[in-house]
Amino acid sequence: MHARRTAGLLMSLLALALPAAAQPSAAAGRIKLASGTASIVRGGTQLPAKVGEVVFEADALRTGTDGRLGVTLKDETRISLAPNSEVRLDRFLYAPSEGRLAFALRIVRGLTAYVSGRIARLAPDAVRLETPTAIVGVRGTRLVIRVDEP
Amino acid sequence: MTKTRAMAVLLGMSATVAAAACGPRRVITPAPAGRSLVVLLADPDGTVGRATVSNPGGSVDLVGERDSTEAAMNQAPRAAGALTEAEVQRMFGEVLAALPPAPQRFILQFEFDSDELTAEGRKLLPEIIRIVTDRSVPEVDVIGHTDTTGTPQSNVALGLKRAASVRDLLVKAGLAAALIEVRSHGESDPLVRTADNAYEPRNRRVEVSVR
Repeated sequence: MHARRTAGLLMSLLALALPAAAQPSAAAGRIKLASGTASIVRGGTQLPAKVGEVVFEADALRTGTDGRLGVTLKDETRISLAPNSEVRLDRFLYAPSEGRLAFALRIVRGLTAYVSGRIARLAPDAVRLETPTAIVGVRGTRLVIRVDEP
Repeated sequence: MTKTRAMAVLLGMSATVAAAACGPRRVITPAPAGRSLVVLLADPDGTVGRATVSNPGGSVDLVGERDSTEAAMNQAPRAAGALTEAEVQRMFGEVLAALPPAPQRFILQFEFDSDELTAEGRKLLPEIIRIVTDRSVPEVDVIGHTDTTGTPQSNVALGLKRAASVRDLLVKAGLAAALIEVRSHGESDPLVRTADNAYEPRNRRVEVSVR
């Protein structure tokens, strides 16, 4: 094998991969409904979850005793939270033309409603909802989930 | 009513234990941390999807309307039967009411071998703008699609071109350009599944998604 050529190839692959990794992740969706105490937790910082606010991959959404949240994601997935609830959008990738689709929502506690979107329609196996005690796979559907306080 | 049902089972079991242990005892039912209840609901159009709830212990398929399952730590998920509509409303009415309005999707077709929208497509433009103005936080995706004729790359470019032409029409009709995002799904998101290199006019379209 030509070690130098291999190294060169590796370098160019890295060059291709690095800018992509350094890019801030694209918006996953927006908060459409909010009331009471509700926040977005992003990288350890807690921000008020107001109507119109952008939600990114890896964000957690949290409601207080009087809080409610409704979010619509870019692929038309909808999520809502009742009071005293928390979810985290572990994974959101919506690039159908590149064949890259992924959705993972972790329900940490409380009550959540989920209505599947285009990712579930295009690639059902790319969707997973996780609770502390189970993994839910979906086939184009509407679900409600309750997770008892840990 | 899974909680009641679970209580009934626990009470039944503890009654047996209590009888064996000579004399009634106070029953303590701890709520295990992270215990999850998953309920499948019908889609807005009335169809019922499917969901599979699994963990290392096993899995349960939810197939019917309001079908439910409960999963606890270190236990296989347990099928918990169908809830009644009243139970769903009592437990989940509040969270369901917090769901944002359903996104609306419009399909705009093109004249044969042309970048011109059909008459039907043009008629949809004012309707789209009306729906957008009804939303509290409107977002509009204009998504170009193609059939499978040609390469995937060239179809992404073609889809983008079609989407941009519809964006221009929407802006001309009065929609704020800042609300619109132009995308292309190329040949990867067909309305009608076909083989590769298949001519299919129905797949040559622009979809407008209003969220």
